[in-house]
Amino acid sequence: MILKIALRNFFGQGMRAVLNVFVTALIIIATIFSLSLLNGFQAQALKNMSVTDAGGGHYRVPGFDILSPMDWEDLTRTVPEQLKRLPPGQKAEVLVQQGTLFVHQHLFPVQLRGVEMAQELLDLPLQKLKAWSTPVQDTVPVVIGRQMAKASRLKAGDLVVMKWRDKFGAVDALDAEIVDVVPLVNPRVDEGVAWLRLDHLRQITQRPGEITWVVVEGNLGPVDGLEFLDVDYLMNDLLSLLKHDRRNTRILWIILLLLAGISVFNTQYLNIFKRQKEIGTLLAMGMTPSRVVRLFTLEGSLAAFGAVVLTGLLGIPFFAWFQTVGFDVSHLSETGIPVRENIFLVFRPGEIASSVLITVSLMLVVAWWPVRRISRLDPTLALRGRGIT
Amino acid sequence: MQLKVLATLFLLLLPVASAFGQTDADAQRLLEKIDDNLWSSSKHIEGRLIIDNGRRVRELSEESWMMGVTKGYSHYKSPARERGTKMLKIENKLWLYTPQTDRKILIAGHMLRQSMMGSDLSYEDMMEDVKVSEAYKATIEGFEDYEGKRVAVLRLTARDTSTTYQTRKVWADPDQFIILQEIRYAKSGKALKSVEFRDYFTVKNRLFPRRMVFRDLLKEDTKTTYIFDSIEFDVDIPNRYFSQSILKR
Repeated sequence: MILKIALRNFFGQGMRAVLNVFVTALIIIATIFSLSLLNGFQAQALKNMSVTDAGGGHYRVPGFDILSPMDWEDLTRTVPEQLKRLPPGQKAEVLVQQGTLFVHQHLFPVQLRGVEMAQELLDLPLQKLKAWSTPVQDTVPVVIGRQMAKASRLKAGDLVVMKWRDKFGAVDALDAEIVDVVPLVNPRVDEGVAWLRLDHLRQITQRPGEITWVVVEGNLGPVDGLEFLDVDYLMNDLLSLLKHDRRNTRILWIILLLLAGISVFNTQYLNIFKRQKEIGTLLAMGMTPSRVVRLFTLEGSLAAFGAVVLTGLLGIPFFAWFQTVGFDVSHLSETGIPVRENIFLVFRPGEIASSVLITVSLMLVVAWWPVRRISRLDPTLALRGRGIT
Repeated sequence: MQLKVLATLFLLLLPVASAFGQTDADAQRLLEKIDDNLWSSSKHIEGRLIIDNGRRVRELSEESWMMGVTKGYSHYKSPARERGTKMLKIENKLWLYTPQTDRKILIAGHMLRQSMMGSDLSYEDMMEDVKVSEAYKATIEGFEDYEGKRVAVLRLTARDTSTTYQTRKVWADPDQFIILQEIRYAKSGKALKSVEFRDYFTVKNRLFPRRMVFRDLLKEDTKTTYIFDSIEFDVDIPNRYFSQSILKR
């Protein structure tokens, strides 16, 4: 009975009701979209970091900091036997040293990163390096990423002078051939990085068997002379950034939700002000004040329920379409964020359910709040239109 | 007749053989004499550093005091941007003081490899603190005409694996015990830097270059010229010049 009257009254509001439903639905869609997009972004960024650099964690020489290149040469050691024994699919030995490329006679400081060719843990497009024989003769083969190639104006086949120091501090230089320019999804292993075969880097720097870190699948317990850094530590800055973004998204969602809430609140407030005589009649005809409150609350809440239905009708096709095209965030890679490809939505049912539930709950509250005054309304004054002033 | 030919050949080959036998020792002696000519117990220099990076030329004037090969103090007097900058070298450490920050910075380890004030010299090059004759073994590669003079070409090989430049090639005047040109090589043999010693003049019975021109051979169109406007040898330098307390305004 109440539902029937509420529905009739709701549709009777015309365009005002439609707008409330539409706006609330858009807010729910926008919230689900932004949160899921952030999920997708996070998943892609973490995956890219993991497959190109972090793996399941690093066993590093204690004190090593990628942001302190002056210390790189002092922080190396030979691979401990425990890690050396691991099969190629479970570890990747990496040696990092400082170097300089003289590109078109200009100085270009680079990170010389040597990675073992047999490793299968990281997904790095270094096939061209594998083809080169050892030891280094007159030319050192080097692979660079596209971003590095763009910044240095280098292309495959170019020959540049590469300078570095050996373990003892003697300066050395050879011609380096850019054997390939590869797409790297993680700009952190692209910008300013020159990729070498590990055996080559060890040979030219006179560091046989030495590493800066060993990428592993996971923590293997204490290893002599190395400390384990887990993925959370290695991706700490990225995770903090994403956490910050997630908080900003929620703030935006709250603002949108408040706007929709104010709209419903306003509608409800106007309803009880303009429909005092109707309320007075209902009360005079024997409807209890609490039932009248329920009726008006239900009427106001129909915007939220309608919005949930409309979210399904509009949101599902939109999300389905979006998953076919993705979102291009390649420009972000220039700021060091490890995503270069299109990203897609990753839905978390709990997140969607809580977003919808909070939206609907808020709508219920703002639908009820203005009409609760009806319970204190004098029917005779209401019938004369003077109950609420 | 046959005997005569043999005797002539013997006499002709004798100096060549003796030269081959003595070259390395001679080369080392020549290097020592060159060091003796350049190095003294103390030095006071007023000079200018002209840095040409291919796009613009900057001129810095400075005054330096050096004690042996291990202590040195420089004070930059111009341009305005560099005025008051001080450098103090003690053993293998270098402190840099800039009046803008009013702080002294220790330049040690790998920092020493950075370019000094955008020049073709690194801090390490600037504070080279060993005599070349002590750090390198010399051999004579031959003799060449160098700007109208007959000069010895020496190949210097580092005695220690940690020496920055493992080999150097030096064009030296064996009569005057001076270096005219030097090329510093990477371990691989690639030429990295060249130094030309120009306009030698006599001061206190020593021959000293008026200008030294440094070039980073891996860069294009750059050079750094060090001009010695005045130089005094064996001067008394107060100890405070080699104390960190001098590194202030």
